Amino acid sequence: MSATAGYLARRAAQKERVRILYRKALKDTLNWAVHRHLFYQDASDLRERFEANKHVEDPDRIDRLIDAGEASYNKWRHPDPYIVPWAPGGSKFTRNPTPPEGIEIIYNYGREDND
Amino acid sequence: MLRIRNSILRHVRVSGSVEKRLFAEDGNVLKRLSRQMCTSMGRNPDQIMDQVIGLVKKFDKVDASKVTESADFQKDLSLDSLDRVELVMAFEEEFSIEIPDEKADKLTCCADVAKYIISGAEQKVVEKC
Repeated sequence: MSATAGYLARRAAQKERVRILYRKALKDTLNWAVHRHLFYQDASDLRERFEANKHVEDPDRIDRLIDAGEASYNKWRHPDPYIVPWAPGGSKFTRNPTPPEGIEIIYNYGREDND
Repeated sequence: MLRIRNSILRHVRVSGSVEKRLFAEDGNVLKRLSRQMCTSMGRNPDQIMDQVIGLVKKFDKVDASKVTESADFQKDLSLDSLDRVELVMAFEEEFSIEIPDEKADKLTCCADVAKYIISGAEQKVVEKC
């Protein structure tokens, strides 16, 4: 019973790793592609590499395959990836931070001079 | 001549009403202005929902007739985990947002995605003020 639970937990962890690896690799493919039409071909190649080992059952072999995949991802990682401007590390990250509580600008458009 | 006059008047009246609406609530002027000026935040929830559904329908492994607000990507649209990763990346590019890994796993239907995008946009508006 516990063996089955352990096996299932291991499989779930492996699925998670594969999902994250695919996500990272797909984003990196877009970073490397100079044009959109080049990206489509690269992305379907990447998908084929994942699909090729879809039906592997042996957990140890799956682990080795994931390790190999992560190693190859790390080897080919883009040095200057695209970051969404508002995300951490992006060009607009914390550009206009929220002012502290209690500080506000009063917009009454010069009326204060006439009083 | 009269028609031109009328159309101009209509335009003026429209912009006037916008102004009135803007300055009706003093405190919210900046918030409203930033919402009106920035297209990505000016969209209302229904538009975002339509955009999300349109995007899912365009995904080539999905049967477009099955796509609804609450159709589960995995069960109803029979997408596997890698397809869902591709879909999430498409959302990220369409709305130029960053969806963290752990959040990406929880987005299971169009309504979830729209809700997530709207909550992100609200946060951005608040940050700007």
